[in-house]
Amino acid sequence: MSNDRLFVLPGETIDPSLIPSHPKNPLRLGPGLRHIPPSDIVPTVAGQLITNPVKNFMSIEYNSTHYIPSQGDIILAQILRSTTDFYLCSLAPYTAPATLPHLAFESATKKTRPILSPGQLVYARVSLANAHMDPELECVHASTGKADGLGPITGPGCVFDVSLGFARRLLMARAVEDGGVGVLDMLGGEEGGGLAFETAVGRNGRVWVGSDNPKTVVIVGRALQETDRSRLGMERQRRLVKKLVREMRWRD
Amino acid sequence: MTATTLPEAALGVLPRADGSARYSHAGYTVTASVNGPIEAQRRDEHAYEAHIDVIVRPAAGVGGTRERHLESILQSSLAQIILVKNFPRSLIQIVLQVEDSPENDYVNTKLVQASLNFAIMPALMQTAVLALLSAAVPMRATATATAVAIMHQDGAKQTVVDPHPRDIEKAQSVHVLAFTSHDELLLAESEGDFTVKEWDNVYETARGICCRSPPQAKEGMAMLLDDESTGGPDMRQFLRSTMGFKVAADLHWK
Repeated sequence: MSNDRLFVLPGETIDPSLIPSHPKNPLRLGPGLRHIPPSDIVPTVAGQLITNPVKNFMSIEYNSTHYIPSQGDIILAQILRSTTDFYLCSLAPYTAPATLPHLAFESATKKTRPILSPGQLVYARVSLANAHMDPELECVHASTGKADGLGPITGPGCVFDVSLGFARRLLMARAVEDGGVGVLDMLGGEEGGGLAFETAVGRNGRVWVGSDNPKTVVIVGRALQETDRSRLGMERQRRLVKKLVREMRWRD
Repeated sequence: MTATTLPEAALGVLPRADGSARYSHAGYTVTASVNGPIEAQRRDEHAYEAHIDVIVRPAAGVGGTRERHLESILQSSLAQIILVKNFPRSLIQIVLQVEDSPENDYVNTKLVQASLNFAIMPALMQTAVLALLSAAVPMRATATATAVAIMHQDGAKQTVVDPHPRDIEKAQSVHVLAFTSHDELLLAESEGDFTVKEWDNVYETARGICCRSPPQAKEGMAMLLDDESTGGPDMRQFLRSTMGFKVAADLHWK
């Protein structure tokens, strides 16, 4: 996939030979870069420069804990309160609330819309993120009208906070191969003895773990947080899962 | 004389803050936490840019006029390098806690309150920049800072880098300079008697410490010799290697 990996600091000049130049596709800039017209591309955070000449794409890979909304992100939001037309939701602590219109749910009309109470969780997409406005969310695909897995989260479970980089790794299409996170597969598979649970990972660094068994919820959440904070590799993740499951079995 | 220790830093020391750093150099140890961009209070809110809130806490006692003065200087310098226009109506909070200083803070220094504490400024500035980088707050450039004093010694004038508080008491003039990573002068505070020529000298010395070009251009041996001749640590290289370690650890899975 990406070839060149280079460490950059904010304001450093990127060697022009590293900037991908595709004959047809326009250059796409990911997080951590800004374009100063006419032709300067400057990093704004410290991280690793990722370039992809095939997709004509470049970005900075870094880890942080404070979520800044950007359009298209799948996030886990908590309802703060409801107004006449929309819900106000929190994406990250101490930030301005995001708005979630009452009608931005699958097959919602003025008469039939989901009634959400303060504190409830919703799995949503950021539909509008703009420096001068509060972010806007949706739980439905604007063109198809389908929820695609988004919507209010129901059932017993608990939310765990992880770093944004870890949430990104969990959200990768191939989390085990590309992201190096195998805890969830291990917990549900052979090492964990087939624990039954479900998860919803938000790009804002929140992971909801749901299961009928509270012990499973705690174990999965702890395994995720431990993997994130101690920066565990695959082998250590396996050992952690075995240890946690063994401890759980003893207490039964 | 001057503390010849190399700067040391640790990032992410406070787990609940968005970004944090502990930095020690020349006898000073400062811990900084950065939170932001968060929602600003109504009175701090600015329609077009983020409000930078700098809080300096001394090692002993509560902050006074001296700390407020330091805060205002740091605030205006940091607002230049943070991309404040990206986050209108929000707040970026930087708290700098002085943990250790070579002077005795328990001695009542109220009498000299009006004078600025120059020796601590580079440490505060450097810690704030490291904590901002650790919080991944979007910035225009990074910054490096140093303090330089001009002293009378054996009938000749000498420039002392990172002076000890006792040197500062005896020094003819003391200067704090900070440079961005684009080699632009970010901060210049001076105190005492000095001529324009002396200031130019100080500027060149500080620039040599803050804006040394990356060493790969030179050969290994020449670099070593060069390090000795210019004197003082290479702040830019220090910043780069500190952040490099942090990023490499964060992206261990790649």
